[in-house]
Amino acid sequence: MLEILIHGAVSSAIYAMLAVGFTLIFGVARVLNLAHGSFYALGAYGAYVLTTQLKVPLFPAALLAVALVALFGVVVERVLVRPMRGSQLAVLMITLAVALVVEQALFLTFGSEYRNVPAFVDEKFTIGGVDVGGQRLLALGVGAASVGTLWLFIQRTRLGSAILAISQDPVAAGYMGIPSDRIFSIVMAISAGLAAAAGVLAGPFLSVQPTMWLLPIVKAFAIVVVGGLGSIPGSILAAMMLGYAETIVGYLISTSWTEIVSVFATLLMLVVRPAGFFGRRAAF
Amino acid sequence: MKRMAVLATAVGVIGIWASPGAAQQAKPIRIGVPTAMQLQVGRDTQDALKIAIDEVNAKGGVLGRRLEMVVADETENPETGISAIKKLTADDKVDVLIGGYTSGVTLAQLPHISTAKTIYLGVGAASPSITAKVKQDYDNYKYIFRVGPLNAAHQARQVTTFISGFVKGELGFGKIAIVGENAKWVQDLVPLLKKGATEAGADVRVTEFFDTQTSDFSPLFAKVKDSGAQYMVVILSHASSDVFAKQWYDSRFPMPYGGIDVKSMDGDFCDRVGGKSVGEMAANFAVRAPLTPKTVPFFDEFKKRTGRSPVYTAFGAYDAVHIYAEAVTRAKTIEAGAVIKELEKTSYVGIPGMIEFDDMHDVKAGGKGPSLLFAQWQDKCERQVVFPKELRTADFVSPAWLKK
Amino acid sequence: MAGKRLDLAGATAFVALMVVFPLVFDSRYLIGVLTVSAIYGIWAVSWDFMSGLTGRENFGHSLFIGVGAYTAGFLNTLLGVSGWWNLPAAMAVAVIFALVIGLPTLRLKGPYFALAMLSGAVIMQRLVLIFWEQTGGEEGINGIEPLIRSQLGFYYFVLGVLVAITVLLLALARSHWGLVLRAIRGDEATCQAAGLNVTFYKIASLAISAACAGAGGAIYAHYQLQVSPQLFAVVTSITIITMVYVGGMASIYGPVGGAILLVLLTELLRNFGEWRLMIYSCTLILILFFLPHGLIAPTWQRFRSRFGRRP
Repeated sequence: MLEILIHGAVSSAIYAMLAVGFTLIFGVARVLNLAHGSFYALGAYGAYVLTTQLKVPLFPAALLAVALVALFGVVVERVLVRPMRGSQLAVLMITLAVALVVEQALFLTFGSEYRNVPAFVDEKFTIGGVDVGGQRLLALGVGAASVGTLWLFIQRTRLGSAILAISQDPVAAGYMGIPSDRIFSIVMAISAGLAAAAGVLAGPFLSVQPTMWLLPIVKAFAIVVVGGLGSIPGSILAAMMLGYAETIVGYLISTSWTEIVSVFATLLMLVVRPAGFFGRRAAF
Repeated sequence: MKRMAVLATAVGVIGIWASPGAAQQAKPIRIGVPTAMQLQVGRDTQDALKIAIDEVNAKGGVLGRRLEMVVADETENPETGISAIKKLTADDKVDVLIGGYTSGVTLAQLPHISTAKTIYLGVGAASPSITAKVKQDYDNYKYIFRVGPLNAAHQARQVTTFISGFVKGELGFGKIAIVGENAKWVQDLVPLLKKGATEAGADVRVTEFFDTQTSDFSPLFAKVKDSGAQYMVVILSHASSDVFAKQWYDSRFPMPYGGIDVKSMDGDFCDRVGGKSVGEMAANFAVRAPLTPKTVPFFDEFKKRTGRSPVYTAFGAYDAVHIYAEAVTRAKTIEAGAVIKELEKTSYVGIPGMIEFDDMHDVKAGGKGPSLLFAQWQDKCERQVVFPKELRTADFVSPAWLKK
Repeated sequence: MAGKRLDLAGATAFVALMVVFPLVFDSRYLIGVLTVSAIYGIWAVSWDFMSGLTGRENFGHSLFIGVGAYTAGFLNTLLGVSGWWNLPAAMAVAVIFALVIGLPTLRLKGPYFALAMLSGAVIMQRLVLIFWEQTGGEEGINGIEPLIRSQLGFYYFVLGVLVAITVLLLALARSHWGLVLRAIRGDEATCQAAGLNVTFYKIASLAISAACAGAGGAIYAHYQLQVSPQLFAVVTSITIITMVYVGGMASIYGPVGGAILLVLLTELLRNFGEWRLMIYSCTLILILFFLPHGLIAPTWQRFRSRFGRRP
């Protein structure tokens, strides 16, 4: 029971980091960024390259990896996404193409073998009889902290209000003098940075190989839609739901069934409550 | 006038005398290589082929013809695999095919290989269904051979021996858990494994399959731990072995594990997981040990040329070239029918052992033939053969946190 | 008027080119590539008819392809049914699936609909893998009999089916039906208020789209002689959407060109070895960036307006 609680929490934290960034950029810029998974992958690979090949110590390497990926996200947004923002499908397609290019670049540079991202915390902890790897607990902690911080940031700061304003009504926000283009870049940086952080934290105990971007983005997509597009609390709630659903099914039935149960739950959610938990935008 | 005539005759004579030499500049024999180019198995297949081809060409080629190779990416997708075969046979017009990795892709390619009437020497796919077709429909599928690896059924038998002879026999662990990825070859293999293990007196406490995409093994580990097993037998191929090893280590899982772990066959697997697989025992088709006179020289040559340790497809690829070359030489032609008859008579000392084919054109296991070696990752990521006893290079070492 | 004649001339020229091409090059490999590209064309055109016109992007088109292919596979290997019967059978099964998944989800819009359809396809893929004993798991169903033994014959057959479906769907798109679908894209509420049975049109167009996709799936099964769960994958759906996009959304004929272009591209880039997919993806980015309305349809439209107005 406790096992499920803890491992479910770890999964939820990672999913939350991925989903919140995804929903943020959608809420603000109406962009379905299929390259979001690539940010996750690049975070992990960045940490790998910096620590293993450039011998940068762990903590600075992690920060640097996140920063570099955030920068990459901004570049992608400026160069490829912004000109296409007229059509949602166009943005979707071009971010998908970016994801493919990143995957191929990783294949060609690092080969298909998975790479090792060193863990921050190597020891094992036993909590109430449950063995948990230290890195997982770190991922849980940092994940929860960063998502929480982001939520506070959006609620309490001026920049946060600007972000909220744009996501509610871009035109009115423009009238109020809010520089939407600059905000988009900032949001993209936050979004990419969060995804990269998830990659850095989860890399040590999950798989790091070039195709690692696809599954997270499909899950993030599902979480974000179920939580309600553009809603951060919705994404957090849905991320927890998915994380726990997967863990519970895995423990009680079998890991072969986790995928299908979560996808089925997603479908059910869409049929029953299409706008998601807190979706403001109507689904139909 | 006369000088002209002499000159002309001389030229004519030289011309006639030189023409067998001119005929020797004959078309090279083309080897088509359908393989997963972006994966390690694909890279090593190609590199091993190059080594073998260079060796054969240095000795004058086959029937006076050089060997050359053409590669086509089959990825892990049957559709791409089928078009790779079509490209190699219809467009590049190769004389023989050597390659393969994913069983699903190879199975999809079979009818198209058969239509092209081209000999296919498999080096990577283990499903018994591939060679079963040879017996079911000899006329159409006689072109298919498997040089490596040992098919899944053979592997199952050898893992059973590992369980009864080593896990229970030597380590004294009677209670085992069997954990495998949700792939068809594993699902075919596990029942055989379970039966054999139980017959050998082991108590199979739990059998679990997990999705190949799984990246979180905690639920699985929890189940295995709760079952009371003392040793975890794994069957992994496409699954995330690295994550498995890392999570096993991170949670200081209370039992050792071992079995078939294809990714663990990589020479640098242990380094790639930061040393966290120390303690795991994985089956290998060959390690750098004198299994046959060819083994060590091959490992060294491969390391020299590529800086890497070869994965299992490399052994099959290298041996396949030589087997084919010898068969063609014996048949004195590259016409498929004749070569097939010679291939069936193959008795070749390869890298993992003596290669001979059974009536389904499948490499025979056991005896002098290739067999699985169970090697353990030990301190400083050194790999030592622990089972079978005859080839043991070091004793079993318990994982650090399990040492009493 | 001249525009229409030009369209007809263009279409005829295209079909003639496709017919003559393999005769000129006489390569079994090329015929194979063209056949597969024609099948993808069928899938792309069927997607465009529903999603292109109504603007409801269906991210689960692979579901219909997969069930069509597996139906053909099962009927052929288990019951020995010939391919000719499997085509209508596959279409029927695909339509059933369209109704099952379409009825509860067609009221959704945009990303919600996309995700719902995607989920449907993923569930089906998972089920096929879970029930591996019956479906062959990731090895799929092998040993399907070819529909037509001759390579060239098969190609012409698929080409014929592609042309027939394109013509049929084009006709539908240009008719009252297409008008309604486009209106639904614009403003569904108004359509409903105007008394149109919006639900019927949406479901029917999804069913038609599914039927064509299923037929394509069955043809695929009898051509490749095997089916595997990869047919249900997200990647398959996305590949098809990319083809439609490159061809020109909502044009119906554009996706044919998109399909042929992209399949040819992936094959012809084989000479680049390991770099094949990288170059393909970069080319894709260039096309998507510089030609956001697609390549085929806009080009034809431009050609048409230049030459179509001559007396």
